[in-house]
Amino acid sequence: MNTEVKMDSIYAPSEDVVVREIEGEVIIVPLVAGVGNMEDEIFTLNETGRAILAKLDGKSRLKDVLESLSEEFESPAGEIDRDVIGFVGELFKRNILVEASEG
Amino acid sequence: MNKSFVSSVPLPESSLWDTMGKKERSLLFFDLEITARCNNNCRHCYINIPAGDRDAMKRELSLDEIDEIADEAVQLGALWCLITGGEPLLREDFGDIYLSLKRKGLLVSIFTNATLVTEEHISLLRKYPPRVVEVSVYGATRDTYERVTRRRGSYLAFTRGLNLLSESGVYVRLKAMALRSNANELPEIARFCRQRTMDYFRFDPVLHLRLDGNQARNEEIRSERLSPEKIVELERGDPDRFRTLKKECDELIDPRFSQIKCNHLFNCGAGRWSFTLSYDGMLHLCSSLCHPSCVYDLRKGSLTDAWNNFVPRVLDMKSDRKEFLERCHVCPLTNLCLWCPAHAYLEKGELDAHVEYFCKVAHSRASALGYNRILSVDGKE
Ligand code: SF4
Ligand code: SF4
Repeated sequence: MNTEVKMDSIYAPSEDVVVREIEGEVIIVPLVAGVGNMEDEIFTLNETGRAILAKLDGKSRLKDVLESLSEEFESPAGEIDRDVIGFVGELFKRNILVEASEG
Repeated sequence: MNKSFVSSVPLPESSLWDTMGKKERSLLFFDLEITARCNNNCRHCYINIPAGDRDAMKRELSLDEIDEIADEAVQLGALWCLITGGEPLLREDFGDIYLSLKRKGLLVSIFTNATLVTEEHISLLRKYPPRVVEVSVYGATRDTYERVTRRRGSYLAFTRGLNLLSESGVYVRLKAMALRSNANELPEIARFCRQRTMDYFRFDPVLHLRLDGNQARNEEIRSERLSPEKIVELERGDPDRFRTLKKECDELIDPRFSQIKCNHLFNCGAGRWSFTLSYDGMLHLCSSLCHPSCVYDLRKGSLTDAWNNFVPRVLDMKSDRKEFLERCHVCPLTNLCLWCPAHAYLEKGELDAHVEYFCKVAHSRASALGYNRILSVDGKE
């Protein structure tokens, strides 16, 4: 499987997880085997992770997501790219994010 | 920007606990008894109704009803739930119930006797792993197992089901009840469990009475209860358990408990973090609390109303009974004791009654653990 993160790709949460919000925290609960390593493993996102995930909605290309995040965080273009790509890559590898088909 | 945007943690280590810990009440989990029916008929069982009981079947919550209640529970913040029974695998729609809970983003555990596990269950659980499947072990030999379950062929079905589960890689834990009919085999049961679950084993030596108050069955349960001395002997024989008990009690046996000033009945976690949904749609603050003024019929109301309005009223119940206020309510041994208002009601028909058997067990434990000094606090035994 190709786990490379592509700027032109559209990403969205996979159907293998359930994304929930409890007490203001975003929690990702694995649904199928292989997402987490343990049966009671859950994933939590910090505020930044949360802002990124909210934009990975199955509609926008990653490069557009990066652009709008730069605006949101008022950081010069390119500065946050590495972090966001790392984040997307990690979630993609774990099957929490999938590449959504266009349209 | 902070570079670690995502962290993966096992549930017990989640930072959610810090948030929750600051609150007085918050729904974290619930137990779901999807049926009270069981294919076994264990001597000590506090709940079972025969597998084919048509009336019981009719009263059971349907998949849709469960779905609706679980949706509300999730909205209230519940993060995990336990499917239990009776024997949950008796329900033909077990798989649908299980999946619908999982799809809501709940972590789901299952209690089962394992006798009805099929290949289909295994594929379901492999694909959508539960948090844990806990299986009860009533004996390590056919004779003992079936003396407890009173059903021929159950031991074979149990070992078959357990093997299927263990081979599948699903996380399985084993536990036992210790009663007169199997107590002599407890060391073998412990060995049986440890061999199969990488050393994990726990047993419960204090039997609960029936939730339905069935008198004949209660007599049977009483006759299966071990003496306090035997309970302590068994606990001593299990060094892990004894050590845990001691460690917990070093932290928990607390003479300050006797300074409690209020006269509230409930000082436990019932209704604070969880609730139990019984097979017929009644909400209980915990699985044992059956007093009619402490249960809420979810078929006639909503979980949100029950959780936000009804449960706080129950938690506010008080007692002015002198015996209660002077004894169980302020007892420093409460963590060694099965006493609680729910069990007092099952034993005596009153939420604030004292229960001699529990008291004797707690005192025997305390003296075995070397807490003689604290024993004198209660002073009445
Ligand atoms: S297997 Fe469990 S539910 Fe069934 S009768 Fe035995 S103790 Fe009760
Ligand atoms: S039954 Fe006895 S040991 Fe148990 S809480 Fe009451 S007084 Fe304490």
